[in-house]
Amino acid sequence: MKKQNYWIPLYHIFLLAAIALLPSCYSVRLISRDGIPEPDYTNNSQDFYKNKQVHVLDTTIRLKGPEGDFTMIQNCGSGGFYSLEYRSTLGGVLLSAITFGKVRKVKVKYVCLKEGS
Amino acid sequence: MATTIKQSIGTWDTLHENGPFPTKNLFITSLESEGNIPSVTDRYNDAAEEIQRLLREALSLGQGFRAIGSRWSLNDIAHQRDNLHVNAKMNLKKTIAADEIEPGSSFQPDYLFFFQCGNIIKEMHNFLASKGKAMHTTGASNGQTIAGCISTGVHGSALNTGSVQDCVVGLNLIIGPDPQDNVYLERESQPVMNERFVQSIHARLIRSDELFNAALVGLGSFGFIHGVVIETEDRFLLKRYVRKINKDLALELATTLNFHDSLFKIPGETDAAGHGLLPYHYKVFINPYVTDTDYVIEAMYKKPFQQGYPDPIPAIKKSIYRDLILLFTKIAESCQNNIPKLIKLLEKSILPPPDLEITGTLGEIFWDAGYQGPAYACSVGIDHRDSGRALDVLVKLAKEEGPIPGIYAMRFVKQSKATLAFTKFPVTCMLEIDGITWTPHNNKMISLQRFSTRMIEVLKANNIPFTLHWGKNADWSFPGLVEHMYGPNAAAWKQQRSSLLSRQQAALFSNDFLVSTKLDEYVGNVPV
Ligand SMILES: Cc1cc2nc3c(=O)[nH]c(=O)nc-3n(C[C@H](O)[C@H](O)[C@H](O)COP(=O)(O)OP(=O)(O)OC[C@H]3O[C@@H](n4cnc5c(N)ncnc54)[C@H](O)[C@@H]3O)c2cc1C
Repeated sequence: MKKQNYWIPLYHIFLLAAIALLPSCYSVRLISRDGIPEPDYTNNSQDFYKNKQVHVLDTTIRLKGPEGDFTMIQNCGSGGFYSLEYRSTLGGVLLSAITFGKVRKVKVKYVCLKEGS
Repeated sequence: MATTIKQSIGTWDTLHENGPFPTKNLFITSLESEGNIPSVTDRYNDAAEEIQRLLREALSLGQGFRAIGSRWSLNDIAHQRDNLHVNAKMNLKKTIAADEIEPGSSFQPDYLFFFQCGNIIKEMHNFLASKGKAMHTTGASNGQTIAGCISTGVHGSALNTGSVQDCVVGLNLIIGPDPQDNVYLERESQPVMNERFVQSIHARLIRSDELFNAALVGLGSFGFIHGVVIETEDRFLLKRYVRKINKDLALELATTLNFHDSLFKIPGETDAAGHGLLPYHYKVFINPYVTDTDYVIEAMYKKPFQQGYPDPIPAIKKSIYRDLILLFTKIAESCQNNIPKLIKLLEKSILPPPDLEITGTLGEIFWDAGYQGPAYACSVGIDHRDSGRALDVLVKLAKEEGPIPGIYAMRFVKQSKATLAFTKFPVTCMLEIDGITWTPHNNKMISLQRFSTRMIEVLKANNIPFTLHWGKNADWSFPGLVEHMYGPNAAAWKQQRSSLLSRQQAALFSNDFLVSTKLDEYVGNVPV
C-alpha cells in the first residue's frame, strides 16, 4: 500500500495562507496636533488625505554594510512634517527577516506642514 | 516674485462633493520666499501685483475670476466657470504697530492683526495664541480661510458675540488690475488704520459704513479680498458641557435665552444667588424622527485663560457632539450608505449619550473637522424667538414629505452689521440640517432640491421671517428669495457693489450663484 503523504496538502494550505497574508498589512499614522497640512484642493481622495498634499515613498532599501540604523532625508519645506503614515506588510517583514535586515521595504505616506503657517 | 501655477481642470468640486461643476482653469499662487523678500509687507505687495496680473489677463479675455478658500461651502458660491484661484498659500500674518493706528481710533494696536486671505482659522489661532490673543468666535471647526469665512458669514454659537466677519474692522480688496483698484475699506464710524498703513500696502483708503458693511459679507463678489484687519481679545478658555435635558426646557432656553431664571443649571455656572449664568455658547441637537422627551444640548462658559489645564484634544477627538455632520456620520456608520436602513435607524434611535466635560481654548474646542466625505447641509436663520415654531414646521416637513437622511441642530448668534449677514436678527437661531447625500430616485425619496424649496415655502406659509446660510444647500433660484429675506438690504448691497466696481469688474467677480440669486444686477448711475 502506498504511504499517504499528508504534508503535501498541508504545505499547500500553508502556502496559500502565506500568499493571502503577504499583502495584509497595518498602518500607523502620526499627526501634528497644532500643525496645518499643506493644502491641495485637487486632492479628492475619500479619506483623511482629502484636500491635503500627499507625498508617497514606496521603495526598497538595500543596505550594504552591517549598520542597523538607517535614515532617509526628505524635504518638507521649512516647517517639517504634518503627518506620517507608516505601512507594514507581512511581505515586508518576511523580506527583512530573511535578509537579516539588509533589504527593507519602505511604504510611507506623508504630508508636510503648510509653508508659513 | 509671487508665482502662479495654472491647471486646466475641466471640473471642480467642493470638499463635500456638492458638484462637480464645469471649470476651465485653477490658479494657485505661491508667495515669494522670505529669503528673497524678507519684509512681510513687501511680500504682501508682491502678491498683490501677481493677483492684479491675473485679473488683467481674465479681463482681457472677457472671462470671470473667483477666489476660493478651502472649498468648504456646500454649494456653488465658490465656483466660477472660467478661472478659480486658490488662495491657500497666501498666508502672511502681521501684528499692528502703534504708529499704524489712526489718531483718535478706539482700537488698541495690541489687539489688532493683519491676515492675508489664505490663512485658515487654525493658523490664525496658532499665531494669535503666540501673542496671548484669541479670535472672538469661529465656526465649529478650523479649516476655512478667513476670506472664505467672512464671504459667507461663518458663525459658531456665540450668542453674545457674533460671527467671524464681526471681528473684521478693515478690508483690503483688489478690484482690478490698475493701481487705483487696490482699495482698503473701513467703517467711517470706526476708523482703525492710518494713511501710513494704507500707503504701505499701496492701497486707496475708503471709509464708508454702507460700503464696508456691504463688502463684509460679499459672497466673493466684491473683488479679491487680499487681507483683513481683525480685532481680537485676550486668550480665554471655554468649559464645555454636553447634557441631556428636558426637551421643553431646551426649547424654552432657545426662545428666551433666559438662562438667569431657567430651571437649567450647571453646578459652578451660577451666580451668587444661584441663578444660571449666560453661556458663551448654546447648541441643541435634535433627531427629527424620534419623539423624545429629552434633547442633547451643548453649553460652554467663558473662563479666564490659565495654564496647566489637561490637554483637551484627546477628548475632543473622541467627542461626537462637535460638528453636526460628524454626529450624523457616527450615527450612520453602521448603515454603510444604505439609506432606507439609515432612515429606519434614525426612526428608532435616540441620540448617543453625552460626552465628557472638556476645557480648552477656542482653537482646541473647535478643532479639526472629522468628516471629509459627501454631505449636504441646509441652514436657516430665524429670530431666536421663532426657533420653536420654525423647528416644528421643519420637523413636520421632514416627517411628512421626507424622510431625508439628516439630523437637526440649533445654534444662536448675535446680530451682525453686515448688510447681507444671515445673522440679521437681534439673536439669530441657525437651525441646521446636516446629513449625507442620497439618490432620491433609487430610494423613492424627496430630492434635496425639492426639500430645499419646500423649506422656503413652509417658512413663508407660516409667516416666519428667515434667512439662509450663504455657504450651504438651498433653492437659491427661488423667485424673489433674497428680497424676501433681506428687504431693502438686498438693493442696498447691489447698489454698494455697483458703486465700488465698474460694470466690467462686477462681471469679472460674478458667478452662477450670484446670477441665481439675482444679486449680479448692476445698478447704473450710483455715485462713485
Ligand atoms: C466641515 C465643515 C464645517 C462647517 N462648519 C460651519 C460652521 O460651524 N459655521 C458656519 O457658518 N459654516 C460652517 N461650514 C460652512 C463653511 O464654513 C462656509 O461655507 C465657509 O464660507 C467656507 O470657507 P472656505 O474658506 O472654505 O471658503 P469657500 O467655501 O472656498 O468660499 C466661500 C466664499 O468665499 C469666497 N472667497 C474665498 N476667498 C476669497 C477671497 N480671497 N476674495 C474674495 N472672495 C473669496 C468664495 O468665492 C466663496 O464665495 C462648514 C463647512 C464644512 C465643510
